[in-house]
Amino acid sequence: MTFGSPTGSAGAHRPAPRGGARPAGRTPRRVGTARTDAAIWTRGLTKSYGSRRAVDHLDLQVPRGALSGFVGPNGAGKSSTLRMLLGLVRPSAGRGYVLGQPISRPDRYLHRVGAMIEGPTFHPGLSGRRNLEQLATLRGIGGWRRARRRDRIEAVLAQVGLTERGDDRFSSYSLGMKQRLGIAAALLPDPCLLILDEPTNGLDPAGIREMRALLGQLAGTGMTVFVSSHLLTEVEQICDHLVMINAGRMLFQGHVTDLLAAEDPRIALVPEHDGDARRLAALLHDVGLRVEIDLRPGPRDPGQRQDYQPVITVHGPEGLAADLNRLAMGAGIALRSLRSHRPNLEETFLRVTGEIDGDLLRSDQPITVPDASVPPPGTGLDPAHSRGGAT
Amino acid sequence: MINAFRAEWVPLLRSRFLLGTLGAVVGCAVLGTMLTFFAVGHTDFDGVPVTARGLSQPNGLIQGAQAVGILLGVVALSVVAAVLAGDHGHGTLRNQLVAQPHRARLLAGKLLALALFVILVVAVATVTSVALSFLLAPLKGVSTAAWTSAAGAAALGAGFLNLCLGSLGYAAVGVLAAIVLRGPASAIAVALAYALPVEMLISRIYRPARGWLPVQLMQEISNGGSSYATPYAEALLRGLLYGAAMVLIAMVFFRRRDMTS
Repeated sequence: MTFGSPTGSAGAHRPAPRGGARPAGRTPRRVGTARTDAAIWTRGLTKSYGSRRAVDHLDLQVPRGALSGFVGPNGAGKSSTLRMLLGLVRPSAGRGYVLGQPISRPDRYLHRVGAMIEGPTFHPGLSGRRNLEQLATLRGIGGWRRARRRDRIEAVLAQVGLTERGDDRFSSYSLGMKQRLGIAAALLPDPCLLILDEPTNGLDPAGIREMRALLGQLAGTGMTVFVSSHLLTEVEQICDHLVMINAGRMLFQGHVTDLLAAEDPRIALVPEHDGDARRLAALLHDVGLRVEIDLRPGPRDPGQRQDYQPVITVHGPEGLAADLNRLAMGAGIALRSLRSHRPNLEETFLRVTGEIDGDLLRSDQPITVPDASVPPPGTGLDPAHSRGGAT
Repeated sequence: MINAFRAEWVPLLRSRFLLGTLGAVVGCAVLGTMLTFFAVGHTDFDGVPVTARGLSQPNGLIQGAQAVGILLGVVALSVVAAVLAGDHGHGTLRNQLVAQPHRARLLAGKLLALALFVILVVAVATVTSVALSFLLAPLKGVSTAAWTSAAGAAALGAGFLNLCLGSLGYAAVGVLAAIVLRGPASAIAVALAYALPVEMLISRIYRPARGWLPVQLMQEISNGGSSYATPYAEALLRGLLYGAAMVLIAMVFFRRRDMTS
C-alpha cells in the first residue's frame, strides 16, 4: 500500500515512514522494484514558483495497466504535476520515473506516452486531419510513407468518432469535438501510457458515456490511463485507482474502493411509531453501538399525518443492517425503513478537500487531524487512514 | 530534426497563410520595381539620381527588389515571429514538445523550415520584380542587354543571395522576440519597433552606429553593401555574428524555459 505525505506543516512533508512510503534512499531494493512496476513513480516531487509551492513533495505511484483518476480542487497542482511528468517543466526538487525512465530524460519515454493536458490545443486554421498529420510527422509515425501515417490518423479519428468532420477547420469544432481531437492526438503513438487532463470537459452526456467506454476499452488493452477530472462520479465509475491531491500535497492514492471503505458507513433506522425512537436508540446503545437520534425534519410521507419522523443513525457497516432489524423486532419495535449509506467519492472528495476552491487555500496553513476515519473539511486524509493500492 | 522540419511545413503551407504572405511580398516587389523605374530622372530615397543608364547596368535587374529589401525583411521578421510565438499562444507547442522532447532538435527543425520559407518568399519577390523590370524597361528607355549577359546573371544571383541573407537577419530578430516574448502580437510589435524606428533614429543621430546596429547591417547586406560606408565584407561578418548570437540566445531560452502555459 502507498500512503500520502503527512498533512502537517510545510517542513514536515516527508514520505511517511510506514505503509510502504519510506524515504526512497533507505529502501533502495524496494524502490528499484517500484520504479519498474509502476507506470508513474515519484518521490518528493516538488515544484515551486517563487515562494509558492504548486507541488509539494508528491509521492506518486500509479501501477501499470491501471485506469487511474487524478483528482483535486482547482489549483491543487494537478497540471503542474502532469507538466513535470511530460518534461514540460523541471521539478524544483524530488525525482520521478515514467515507464521506468527518469523524468529528467523525457526523450526516453515520451515516444510511448500520449497526452492531452490543459485542454486540446491545435492550429485553429488547420483541419483536424492536418493537425494530426503535423503531430504524426513530428513523431515520425509511418516514417517517409505517407500512406501509413494517414492510416494511423484515420484509425484514431475513427476511434474518437471524428472521421466525418476530420477535414473541417479546428476553429469550427465544438468543445466536445476539440476534446475528441485532443484524445485522437494522444492516441497517435499507440501509447503505453495515456495522460489526459479533463477529457470530458465540454462533452454532452452521450459523449461522456462514450468517453467512459473508450477509456475502459483502452485500459482493457493493458494501456495505463492516468486521467485528471472534476467529474468525480465518472472517476468513481471508471477508475480502479485514484490519486487525490490538495495544495500540492498527496491526500490519498490507492484503490477507489479502499478510499470509500475508509469512510464512515451509517445505517438509518426509522421506527414505525415515533415513541419507539428513544427506546430503540437506548437498546442499540446498550449493545455497544455508536448511535445518534436525529429529530430534524425527516422525509414527508403524504400517507401520514405527521410531518416529522425521528431517525436513528447507527455508525456501522452495511452488514450490520440485518442484525439491527432482528434486534428491533426482538424488542417489539417495527421499522418503517432501514437504509445503509456510504459516502460516495464526491462526498468524500468535498469533505477532505474542504469544499472550497483550492485556489483559495493557503498551502502553509497548519493542519490537525483528529481521531476519525475521515478528517474534517480541508485537512485531507491522514496516512494512517488512507488506503494505498498495492503498487 | 528532420521530422520537426517536415512537420513545420504543415502549418506553413496552409492556404490562407501562404497566399497572404506571398501576396504581401508580391505587392512589395511590384511597388519597389515600379517606384525604381518611375524614379528615372529623379533621385532615390538617399538623394542619389536614378538614371536609365544606371538601370541598364548588369545589376539594374535586381534594383527593384533591393529597393524593398527592408519590406521583405519586415515580412520575414513578422512571419517568423508570428509562427513561433503562435505556437506558444495557441498552446500547440505543448503537443509538439510531447511529440518531440528534444527541444533543440525541435527548434532547429522549425528554424530550418522557416529559413527555407523566407528564401521562398524572397525568391517569389525577386521573380516578380525581374518579370516586371523587363516589362517596364522599354517604357523608360532602359536597355536590358546587360541584364541577360553573364555579368547580369551573376549580379542577379548575388543580389538574390544578399536579399536572402538580409531577410534571414531580420527573421533572426523575429526568432529572438518570439521565443522571449511568447505572444505573436507582442513579439511582432517589439521586434518591428526596434528594427524600424529605434535603430533608424539612432543611426540618423549617430551615423557610425550604422556599422554596428544589427538591423542596419542586415539592410546593408540586402543592398549589397552599396548604401553606407561600412564595407560589405565587414557588414556580412557582423551581420552573421549578430544572427548567430540571436538564434543561440533563442535556443538557450527555448531549451531551459518551463512550458507553463
